[in-house]
Amino acid sequence: MIWCPMGRILIVDDTLFMRTLLKNILFSGGHTIVGEAADGEEGIAKYKELKPDLVTMDVVMPKMNGIESLKGIRQFDPNAKVVMCTAVGQEQMVKLAIKTGARGYIVKPFQAPKVLEEVKNVLAS
Amino acid sequence: MSEFEAYRGLFVAESRENHETIVKSLLVLEQGIDEGAIDEIFRAVHTLKGASASMGFEETERLCHSMEDVLSLIRAHTLDVSPPLVDLLLACTDVIEEMIDGIESGGNGHHGDTGHLVDMLRLWVDRGSGNRSVVSNAVSASAPAPPDPEPPSGDPGDPGDRPVYRVRVRVSEESAMADVRAMLVLTNLDALGTVLTTTPSRQAIDEGAFERDLEVEIASDAGEEALRIAASGTEIAAVTVSPVHRGTDDSLGAAPSSCPPGVREEEDRRTRERDREKGREIKNIRVDIHQLDHIMNLVEDLVINRGRLKQIAELHRIKEMDEAISVVERSVSELQNLMMLIRMIPLNQIFNRFPRVVRDVAKHDGKEVEFVIEGGETELDRSVMDGLSDPLLHLIRNGINHGIELPEVRERAGKRRVGMLRLSAHRDRDNVVIELSDDGAGIDIERVRKKAVERGLATSEAASLLTDEEVLAFLFQPGFSTAEKITDISGRGVGLDVVKSSIEALKGSVKVSSVPGQGTRFELILPPTMAIIQVMIVRINTRRIAIPINSVIEVASLTADAIHRIGSNEAILLRDEVLPIYRLDEMFGPPTKGDIILVVQYEDRKCGLPLDLVEGQQEVVVKPLNRLIGSSRGVSGVTILGDGDVVPVVDVNTMV
Repeated sequence: MIWCPMGRILIVDDTLFMRTLLKNILFSGGHTIVGEAADGEEGIAKYKELKPDLVTMDVVMPKMNGIESLKGIRQFDPNAKVVMCTAVGQEQMVKLAIKTGARGYIVKPFQAPKVLEEVKNVLAS
Repeated sequence: MSEFEAYRGLFVAESRENHETIVKSLLVLEQGIDEGAIDEIFRAVHTLKGASASMGFEETERLCHSMEDVLSLIRAHTLDVSPPLVDLLLACTDVIEEMIDGIESGGNGHHGDTGHLVDMLRLWVDRGSGNRSVVSNAVSASAPAPPDPEPPSGDPGDPGDRPVYRVRVRVSEESAMADVRAMLVLTNLDALGTVLTTTPSRQAIDEGAFERDLEVEIASDAGEEALRIAASGTEIAAVTVSPVHRGTDDSLGAAPSSCPPGVREEEDRRTRERDREKGREIKNIRVDIHQLDHIMNLVEDLVINRGRLKQIAELHRIKEMDEAISVVERSVSELQNLMMLIRMIPLNQIFNRFPRVVRDVAKHDGKEVEFVIEGGETELDRSVMDGLSDPLLHLIRNGINHGIELPEVRERAGKRRVGMLRLSAHRDRDNVVIELSDDGAGIDIERVRKKAVERGLATSEAASLLTDEEVLAFLFQPGFSTAEKITDISGRGVGLDVVKSSIEALKGSVKVSSVPGQGTRFELILPPTMAIIQVMIVRINTRRIAIPINSVIEVASLTADAIHRIGSNEAILLRDEVLPIYRLDEMFGPPTKGDIILVVQYEDRKCGLPLDLVEGQQEVVVKPLNRLIGSSRGVSGVTILGDGDVVPVVDVNTMV
């Protein structure tokens, strides 16, 4: 990559465990975590409030799942960069997310280099 | 995995929560199909699976995965919820709990029963899917309906006048979802032009029929370089872009511009890993409880020495020192408050385990019980919480064993078949009150009265004069049980006396009330913390004694002729109330003047203590008596005052 931007990132995941893991990975890559949300609804609200450069979005969450949240965010900002966090076995959900406008995905269990690479690529796109 | 060690504590804490959610929701599910509960379980199992995979706890992951398979069938309504299935799922949660325990103590979640349980789960999956192969579909059944189908994609689009390029993309071997990656590449290319053909087709990719290679023909004005960038990205091993001269398909002749993964990336990765070590920021830490206790002890010492410094400063009247001490004092009280806060835990920590117990006991007894928990967010000091679980468990078992009747009996009595057991907690001024009530048969007060006479605890005349409340108090006597037989879950000689003494050890009290035919209610009143308390310092026979302020009602003056003798006991009349007098002569010798009386209360009983002098009120740290001395009735511990004087703290509960 010619240009490697550092982003302001919003993490949407229902578990503190995953949020912490992601936060540490992203932080180590020089990104700023501007906010965290624990469900899809909160994700949309935080996006509107913080206008982050990128969102990492868990797929399975209570109240509102990641795909619905993605829709809400894209409605507010059609250029929103959303990266889905997913697990093997959820291919169908991720494909649906990509059709809905997700810009990338990362697979749990997270591998720091891969996560950072994907985030970097999506930020640069 | 070692890099995840730092997350072990967090994993354990959160997995425990998820485990509790699963158990709780399974119990709901057992009552009948409940979409919300299934979703809850699904989500918790899924999260647990994900977290286990991240930590490399493969067995836990495998078990969760098998559970998910079964759950997805339930969710798709192809498998009915039945008691044996719930039993199996609960057995899985038991194993998961043991795994978490193991992980907490440094293990990797290995458990001997995993294989067996996974096999059992698979049997259910086979049964649920039958001839229909719904397992894979069931997973996506939960997904929202897919959006409108896109135009069939293998079809050539309209190139217009734009140049056409052939883009070849190879997805890296390590990609976990190559098809999804291919889809992203297509989406990115869509943004730059019109995709004419793709091989394999979009539909095939959508269905997962994708190996590693994607070939796309696209009509675009963006230029080679832009297309190359759009197609490359994470997990893309190689991209080649070449112009297609319509009619002359010489794609092979064009010089491909490719970007294979380079050595640089490996270097990048290493740097990142190094940075990661440095940049790791942890907001939550887990602390060994013993260390916390140790810190608490040190804070207690500080509190004591603060008092001592204050006395010295007062004695020598040093102004600067006074000022310095007041600053220290502020920090110490803040530290003390903070420590108290850190030690406070919501009652849910122990409450959450109870629904499972209720289920097991009720099932064993053939009873139907609805269990309601309220106020689980009420916080208590950890030291109090530790001693609370067992007595509560005992009361809950008791409530089901002896309180709630069999469904048929209830129906005959005109009640709902399902008995109600309610556990609630709330703050009441400085105390935490926990109530456990059932709508069962209640306690047969006459039987208790009879039994008390049989046991020689009261004469039959005395017993017949006792109020219901006084009779019920017999239940807390050692060895007093009205149950005819000892059941294998509760009972077994350990009775309410143990509950009472454990609660009293926590400086709390237990009350019971009961209405025959309508139910029984236990009320536990607990101090939120037991380490630091407010006491009144008094003197008897020149010795200092500390009396917990929450049991002091009032201080009054006493004249010798006001004391009346009733049999061998003494009493005074204080505002039309007969107040028994209790003398601490045995412990401290007779008071020299004894012209002051301190009225103390425990529950509804009051008594007066004659003494010489009231020194004042103070916050002190109660230290338990040393094992060498053993426990001494009437004294709950000692405290060290600022001047180094060791003062006994009187236990009013045992005195009144």
